[in-house]
Amino acid sequence: MRFLKSAAAQVIGLFVADWVQTAVILVIVATAWYSISGLRAAPLPVLIGLVVLLAAQHIWFALAEARRDARPRPLPSPSPR
Amino acid sequence: MGQQLFTFGAAFLGSAVESVEALTIVLAVGLTRGWRAPLYGTVAALVSLAVLVVVFGQLIVERVPESTLKLVIGTLLLLFGLRWLHKAVLRSAGVVAMHDEEHAYRQTVSQLEGAAARHDWLGFVIALKGVFLEGIEVVFIVVAVGGTSKYFPEAVAGGILAMLVVAAIGVVVRKPLARVPENTLKYAVGIILTSLGTFWAAEGMGASWPFDFVSIFFLVAAYLAASQLAVQLVRRPAVA
Repeated sequence: MRFLKSAAAQVIGLFVADWVQTAVILVIVATAWYSISGLRAAPLPVLIGLVVLLAAQHIWFALAEARRDARPRPLPSPSPR
Repeated sequence: MGQQLFTFGAAFLGSAVESVEALTIVLAVGLTRGWRAPLYGTVAALVSLAVLVVVFGQLIVERVPESTLKLVIGTLLLLFGLRWLHKAVLRSAGVVAMHDEEHAYRQTVSQLEGAAARHDWLGFVIALKGVFLEGIEVVFIVVAVGGTSKYFPEAVAGGILAMLVVAAIGVVVRKPLARVPENTLKYAVGIILTSLGTFWAAEGMGASWPFDFVSIFFLVAAYLAASQLAVQLVRRPAVA
């Protein structure tokens, strides 16, 4: 059972490191898909927008994680002896 | 021809990185507890993975409409590639420590040394689990890269060749392949998979790229520039 659980976690972990980032990527892709398939927008500007937004979120989330990592963590409260 | 080589190369590089990590686990078990159990574990894992490739590969290629396949696999490949790229950027910038095969090796050895010698199945299970879990990533890369591009045999060949090359090197050197520049490889593969994912997801949406397959090289350049910018913005002294 533990093996199956860790296999399932591994499969999800292949695609998801940060749920917020995953949601942002999916929203970007869905918007591009809707613009091309639903709104019949000219593909080239949508493709350029898709790549720019994906690259921008990549930079944004790398910076956000670095900032989170750099933030000083509170010291653990002294344990009673 | 270019697309065939690209597919083969992407599958080869991605599979090689994961094979190095699987090899570390098998070596740690084999050199600590003897080779029989980990080799059985490795073979069992490889057979399971081969079944996954055949079943999912055939199912995906034959049953799913091409545009849906490209959109879904392209998006998954994008998520997968961006995750690797994200980690590689943070490692290059010194935020996250580099993956260290020597450390992974020592960790597995110490885990095994605490266990009683009579449990030979432990070596089998650790090798099976390690090879299977690392191999899932190889399966995904091979199926995603090959299934969407009509070059499934080339992708399978790239994955198998990578595993054979890494296994052969492992047999010769009999220690973890700590000198393989894993982060650089993951960085490169992350960029390639992200570019392929973007390319196929957009084709699945119904868009055609200017210059067709050649535009992947523009995508590679764009993501390389973005990730380098991210490294520069994030950079700080290396983590010890």
